[in-house]
Amino acid sequence: MEPRRDSLSGFGLGLRTQHYPAILEEHDGRAEGVDWFEIISENYIDVGGAPRRNLMRIREHYPMVMHGVSLSIGGTDPLDMDYLAGLKRLIDMVEPALVSDHLCWTGVHGINLHDLLPLPFTLETVRHVAERIARVQDYLGRHILIENASTYTAFAADEMSEWEFVTEIAERADCHILLDVNNIYVSAFNHGFQALDYLAGVPAGRIKQIHLAGHSHEGDYIIDTHDHPVPDPVWELYGRAIERLGPVPTMIERDDNIPPFEELVRELQQARALSEAALHKREAAQ
Amino acid sequence: MSGQLSRIQAAFQHRMLSGADGLEPYLAEGGHIGVYDHAYRARLQEILAGDFPALHSLMGDEAFGQVINGYLDAHPSRRRSVRWLGAALGDWLRETAPWSAHREAADMAAFEWALGLAFDAPDAPVVAQADLMATAAESWPGLRFGFHPALTVISLHHDVTGFQQAVTGEREPEAAPEPLDRPASWAIWRDHDSLIAMFRRLEPDEAAMLDNARAGADFSVLCDTLSFGADSDDAAMRAAGLVLGWVQSGWVSNLNGDAA
Repeated sequence: MEPRRDSLSGFGLGLRTQHYPAILEEHDGRAEGVDWFEIISENYIDVGGAPRRNLMRIREHYPMVMHGVSLSIGGTDPLDMDYLAGLKRLIDMVEPALVSDHLCWTGVHGINLHDLLPLPFTLETVRHVAERIARVQDYLGRHILIENASTYTAFAADEMSEWEFVTEIAERADCHILLDVNNIYVSAFNHGFQALDYLAGVPAGRIKQIHLAGHSHEGDYIIDTHDHPVPDPVWELYGRAIERLGPVPTMIERDDNIPPFEELVRELQQARALSEAALHKREAAQ
Repeated sequence: MSGQLSRIQAAFQHRMLSGADGLEPYLAEGGHIGVYDHAYRARLQEILAGDFPALHSLMGDEAFGQVINGYLDAHPSRRRSVRWLGAALGDWLRETAPWSAHREAADMAAFEWALGLAFDAPDAPVVAQADLMATAAESWPGLRFGFHPALTVISLHHDVTGFQQAVTGEREPEAAPEPLDRPASWAIWRDHDSLIAMFRRLEPDEAAMLDNARAGADFSVLCDTLSFGADSDDAAMRAAGLVLGWVQSGWVSNLNGDAA
């Protein structure tokens, strides 16, 4: 198998079932232009049959990272140890380079709303989330990455900016960050802050992966829909992020209006070119 | 945990599930909370439409939307993966008016759910035909069977299979599902090599025998299940033939009755 822990580099795509034929049949599992794939963890925990067979055929040729959507790290229910046990079994099988989930909550009182819900940016939340991340990392025996989510509402109780919130949690929990550049753009628009302030405020050394995606503009707000190509303002912000952070493994997420595989590979080339240009600029400035 | 965070989350969830407005005092001005309100049902509706395409087609958009709204009120998701959201839909349709009067809906939901399980249930070993044939004659009466997790047996009042196959094959179904004279059982499983979901209708005696086998009965008891009057040799032959068919189809994971 290919490299595993903490050895990820280059550019990846979110693995989607629509692309299995292109990856497995047209490219015999070795599509050029993609260095790694990210899987949604919940789609593969304790499943067999074709989903598992296809996953492991692709894993033979590519490094993978695992991305969860239901850890509910900010939720006030107890941590779901059955879920974590399943996640651990999948980690043992896939041997991913990175394991991530979102800085959000997904439900309480035993119910899962299947959405990435916003947290109040308070010290109470910081303490609660940091303690839970530390427990998850102890249980899994590895660092996890937490991803900044797109949000559509803020709370009256907020005591700090989102980047201060993310930073405080990451420092206290000693975890890594999956920086979603599109989510920064979306939340900056929705809440009226400067995206560049966000970029300047997060701890560079903890950022181990970047997400890029498209969104839907609804006039006075933006929704993080992952159903369009990455738009120009997000590309621009990505360039600024790489200028500040240096090389970071980067991928494109697409969850709706999914185009042919080759089209996403071409979009990924754009990320490569932009990253390279940003790294030149960074070098020149140093 | 007590505190503001848990109060906010309780109010937020209550709003999403029931539309209650207790969250408002906690929100900052100028947000777009409606995005979350709308997203919850829209997302789950879309997921269930994907899991139950033939039920959707059978009922039409409007009734399917009503079904899903009612179902989500009765069964908010309690699993981490949205994969399991529709697990209780067949039972709910069978038990809940006015849908309970349309038994073909519950039948279709049960059939589509079983096909989904056949597709991605955990992997498990399958007993090879040669292993069964190598079992000594004197060991047969005590054989018990552990079944593959991808095997489901359902009892239907309508033959919904043709309609479902037409919808997923993107053909126009020729007719609505026909009611059966009496309920019949179908086995749904995954082919071991191709990993494709398969199904077939079971004769009543095979269905009864399979029920007993899945409940842990040994082969001697299974032979008694078959009604061949006084001729126990005929019953044993028929039972052995059926067991061989199960093994050939990859339904059997072990010959000691353990859960696979």
